[in-house]
Amino acid sequence: MIGQAHDAREAVVFDSIVPIEELVERDGLRELCQSFHALFGIGVRLYSVDGTLLAAAATDQELCLEIGTTPVGHRACTATIAEVVGHDPGSASEVVIPCFTGAAYYVAAIDYDGRRVGRLIVGPYVPVQTTSVPSTFGDAVPNFDVTRANALLTKMPHAKPETIRRIGGHLKSALDLILFSGHKAHMTSKMHLASVRESYRELADKNERLQEAFDRLKELDRLKSQFLATVSHELRTPLTSIIGYSEMLVQGLVGEMKPDQIEFVRTIHDKGEQLVKLIMGLLDLGKLESGTMRVIMRPTRLEPILAEVVSTMTPAARKKGVRLELGLGESSALPELQGDSERLRQVFLNLVENAIKFTPSGGEVTLRADVAPMDGGGANDAQEDGLSVLAPTLLPVEVRVSDTGIGIPRAERQRVFDAFYQVDSSSTREHGGTGLGLAIVKRLVDAHAGTVRIEDGQPTGTVFVVSLQQAGSSIHG
Amino acid sequence: MQINFGGREIALKLVYYGPALSGKTTNLRSLHELTVDGARGRLMTLETKDDRTLFFDMLPLALRAEPDKSGHAGMTLRIKIFTVPGQVTHASTRRLVLQGADAVAFVADSQIGETEHNAASFLDLRQNLKELGIALRDMPVVIQFNKRDLANIRSDHEIETLARRGKEPVFTAVAVNGQGVLETFFGLLDIAWRKLDGQHRLAQMLGIESNELLPMAAKQLGLSVAIPKLLASSVAGSLERYFQVVR
Repeated sequence: MIGQAHDAREAVVFDSIVPIEELVERDGLRELCQSFHALFGIGVRLYSVDGTLLAAAATDQELCLEIGTTPVGHRACTATIAEVVGHDPGSASEVVIPCFTGAAYYVAAIDYDGRRVGRLIVGPYVPVQTTSVPSTFGDAVPNFDVTRANALLTKMPHAKPETIRRIGGHLKSALDLILFSGHKAHMTSKMHLASVRESYRELADKNERLQEAFDRLKELDRLKSQFLATVSHELRTPLTSIIGYSEMLVQGLVGEMKPDQIEFVRTIHDKGEQLVKLIMGLLDLGKLESGTMRVIMRPTRLEPILAEVVSTMTPAARKKGVRLELGLGESSALPELQGDSERLRQVFLNLVENAIKFTPSGGEVTLRADVAPMDGGGANDAQEDGLSVLAPTLLPVEVRVSDTGIGIPRAERQRVFDAFYQVDSSSTREHGGTGLGLAIVKRLVDAHAGTVRIEDGQPTGTVFVVSLQQAGSSIHG
Repeated sequence: MQINFGGREIALKLVYYGPALSGKTTNLRSLHELTVDGARGRLMTLETKDDRTLFFDMLPLALRAEPDKSGHAGMTLRIKIFTVPGQVTHASTRRLVLQGADAVAFVADSQIGETEHNAASFLDLRQNLKELGIALRDMPVVIQFNKRDLANIRSDHEIETLARRGKEPVFTAVAVNGQGVLETFFGLLDIAWRKLDGQHRLAQMLGIESNELLPMAAKQLGLSVAIPKLLASSVAGSLERYFQVVR
């Protein structure tokens, strides 16, 4: 056989020879034979190509039964049946085989799709012109009464040869249709299975390739974070010297300087500080991404952290003409949180700094903290699925940092937490910044198993809502 | 191709490929209508409700060689003609049907607006063959530009120019009324037969001369057509040139 041996996939063999037994339903075949038998009164039998009886419908003839009672008669009868059943009509496709009683059997080949698949036998019947047993009858069954035999012969079904051929023809076309339908169903189901298998194989293949690509990207990402951490660290060291020495210059430790010189050195010092902040941000991000930043979780109170943030940022706000306010919960004290106070301070520092940056002069930045309302108060959709079983045992504390600035379009709200992302990159110069602040916020809040989301400010601006779990609350990741 | 010495059979598989709605099934239906029962089997179509091919259509032909001089029954050449589903989503089914194909008739839609779909389908054919480990250049392919009766089609002149430039034999057709269907089929059978006969000496197995197969097929399918005339209808002599190039 010449095929595609190199193809490991299971080939669908469209040209396989399917045995008739597999294509047709035996009960259906028997019903078909019975209906023909009922219609014409003549026995009908169907055999597969290897001689297996597939279906039959026939009534025993009295003559045959009586002959069968004697051993000689039984032998003669069996020999005739064997010849009829074992006879392949060959290329003639039909043949009539006479019985020693004068009756006859019609044998026709069943061909399907150009191949011989079986044969059908119609009989015994008595050809209409036959009125008595042949003269050779006595040779086959010597002791049988010929008059009795002739009487029984007339009781057998009689038929003209062309009628028998017509019956055979009808049966063959009915069978052909059944075979075709069976073949079609067989091919369809085979094809269906093969298609499903092929689609599955294709998908599995694709998944494997995707997984490889994903692993490669993850490794690259890890390398990037590592590189970032290393470079930041190396940059910080010389920068510390620049800042230290410029500070000493300003303090006059190595002699008095003219006011202009002091101004220049101050600028060097300030820019140095700015650079350190940026590098620290990169370093933090690198640590957060590589998972090497230590977050020490212990019971923490939020009020002092927020108060410190406000007092740190007040000079900057005042300088820009922005009012900065702190509002603590309606209840007298906020519950304790499970968290790292240093990291939480960084979260709110970044958020407030960001809010001031994007709020025009005369605007307002407010920092408010309270226990989240029971109804979720506009929580993320994701939190609402299965909320009744997934909600933490204690309500989280929400810190809202609101500003009256330019606001963040809804479409951008997910991306602002990506590192280096700026909503309006053209505003980078105007507002400064590297796009690292919010990325660090998101990662730090994640490390606290909290969430951060963005809501619309009223009437304008943005509200960043940081939701943190209370100490002692069971947390679902 | 499969050779079954025990069953005295040689089986060929011809596949009609092409974009959705280009007329692959129509080609098979017309071929079925133009030929007579006997050598030709029943046309099996597996369609969805909207008359689109789901898995494939299949038309079996069985050509019997004459018994040899000592009276042994001759071998049978079974030809199964398949169509593939053209819709893009059935890619895996197309590949399955294409498995083991001996030659491909690519049925293109002549409408100018379908040009891109023709191209995409041909690239899909090449890709699927590649995934089966077969290079397109090793596969005998004929191209049929179908639907020549419609408006806004690529001009005859254009197709002649394309046929001259291309390697594959090109035929034109209006499959829906049978025009060009036999030409394409015999062109396809010709290139498949010449290749496989050259490789496996099939004519010898069948006990015929190589150039007797096509007339034998025409005769057994009840066709009173002159084979040379059918084959000569390839656009711009592209069939003759194919054999010169391939040889």
